[in-house]
Amino acid sequence: MIGHLNEETVISLRDINKTYPGAVPLHVLKDISLDIRKGELVSIMGASGSGKSTLLNILGILDNYDSGTYMLDGTAIRDLSENRAAELRNRMIGFVFQSFNLISYKNALENVALPLFYQGIGRKKRNRLAMEQLERMGLADRAHHLPGELSGGQKQRVAIARAIVTNPSLILADEPTGALDSITSGEVMGVFRELNESGMTIVIVTHDPGVGASTNRIIRIADGRIEGSSDTPDFKKEQ
Amino acid sequence: MFDLFREISQTIKNNRSRTILTGLAVAWGIFMLIVLLGAARGVVNNFNDFSSDSSVNYINIWSGYTSLPYKGYRDGRRIRMKDSDMDEIKGEVKAATDASISATASGFNINGPKDYISGGFNAVYPGAQRSERLKMKEGRFINTRDLEELRRSIVLHTDNAELLFGSSEKALGNQVRAMGLSWKVVGIYSHRWRKDSYVPYATYKSITGGDGKVDEMNIKIGGITTEEEALATEKEIREVLARRHEFDPADENAVWIWNQFANYLSQGQAIVYLNLAVWVIGILTLLTGIVGVSNIMFVSVRERVHEIGIRRAIGAKPRSIIMQILTESVVITTLFGYIGIVSGMALLQVLSKVLTDELGFSNPTVDITIALEVTVALIAAGALAGLFPALKATKVKPVEALHDE
Repeated sequence: MIGHLNEETVISLRDINKTYPGAVPLHVLKDISLDIRKGELVSIMGASGSGKSTLLNILGILDNYDSGTYMLDGTAIRDLSENRAAELRNRMIGFVFQSFNLISYKNALENVALPLFYQGIGRKKRNRLAMEQLERMGLADRAHHLPGELSGGQKQRVAIARAIVTNPSLILADEPTGALDSITSGEVMGVFRELNESGMTIVIVTHDPGVGASTNRIIRIADGRIEGSSDTPDFKKEQ
Repeated sequence: MFDLFREISQTIKNNRSRTILTGLAVAWGIFMLIVLLGAARGVVNNFNDFSSDSSVNYINIWSGYTSLPYKGYRDGRRIRMKDSDMDEIKGEVKAATDASISATASGFNINGPKDYISGGFNAVYPGAQRSERLKMKEGRFINTRDLEELRRSIVLHTDNAELLFGSSEKALGNQVRAMGLSWKVVGIYSHRWRKDSYVPYATYKSITGGDGKVDEMNIKIGGITTEEEALATEKEIREVLARRHEFDPADENAVWIWNQFANYLSQGQAIVYLNLAVWVIGILTLLTGIVGVSNIMFVSVRERVHEIGIRRAIGAKPRSIIMQILTESVVITTLFGYIGIVSGMALLQVLSKVLTDELGFSNPTVDITIALEVTVALIAAGALAGLFPALKATKVKPVEALHDE
């Protein structure tokens, strides 16, 4: 088992296995055990096909696993109904994707407010909360712009605002800088660090060593297994 | 709910062309249904109006010309019915409960103080009022005392009374002149298409010397309910007349028979079929619209798999996705369906002004009950059209949906 055992553990995986069925079944995750503490900024790194995205999907309750146990902030994640899974995703997890995944015909404010709509929060309140997050991202003046009218960095900041608007326990980011240039990538990682400093737990899946180096801990995954976990030099210094 | 409608209005705006095309299919279906129902109603109304102005339980007979040689007689022979035929038919034909006769006297004018009318009059029995469905506006129709006392009474159509006297009030009780004699106006009637003047048959017969020949006979029939029985009665009547006037019973031109009862029954049946056909065509048209909406909703769901994936990733429950798609479908169907209803009703309004009774339409409209039924059907249809695409949308796993581009 690799991880930091602590009472404040947000994610706890034990012996997670996942196989995609088919003519030749693909065993993509093999006995994954992992702990992530509250307030950590962790990157999961690995080559293409190593299983890191599958792991992220399981962490995000977007996909099921075959065996093992997964505890998210004290809640067992196993055999959930679609409704319960949706509810947990909405309240406990914020997603940031490589391709931003904003709804094209909704403006920035509406995109950010959408998770609150599914919590049944009234329009005025959700717009106020969404605007607060856009202001935090420095995008208040872009609130009424459609995604097509925003730059890549701005889109990703809108996506981050949407991820944090429900004040989740965990932010999961899948190659969040994959579609950005190096300067914008740096800006986006700066946003993640700021959020982390304010106490948010963030897990970033990436194959970019630069992104990994910006996090506090790197978990390396290869061929469906965790190869190791190491604190980054900056993190060690801070310690 | 307001939020849901905002969501839907955004989706609809974002897919304007698709929504409009789908909606037009629905609007067209409903439009056709309403117009068909209205047109059918127009035909039915016209039929009912006609029936109310006709006496459906009568068989009318007119003298004609033979078209078949018979017992040494050549064809083309004029057959003139006689007033004695009436009693014979009443005695022999079981279904004939009453009868009246009419002789047409023509070739002279009826003169009033203001104007005259040409053509002549019909010499009739009192039963003609019922057989010809004449509605008395003032006074009375020819009665038995007119016949017994050979009174020179005359009954005029309201238009003719106005023509002859300036107004129908002035006509009643006053005299007109016809055949060189004075006739007292005893009644004024109204009718949609009949405008004849009526005098007592016995009076006319006494004036003209009376060979008893009549032009028309109206047989009231009773105790029968089917078209077959009505046709059998018609055959019996023709056989009586054929025997008395020596023509081939198969010769349909020797006397012309208008079997109103058989017509009424067969037209009534036709109306039932017409109504049925209209509903079937209308519902099939509507179904086409529903299938169209369902198809478009399937395409819409397919196009929006990625968006649905995003929504589900950030917390949309399957129920809310289903609700959104169903409501979207119902909104599109109902909104455009109403456009169809309103356009259909507007066209029917125009048609009701343009199409006249003579063209076979009378007040071709649909009533509010039908409109409400169609509305309910629309909402149900919209829900049905959206149901399967909505269920399909929730079958896609969020993780697969997110990777669908």
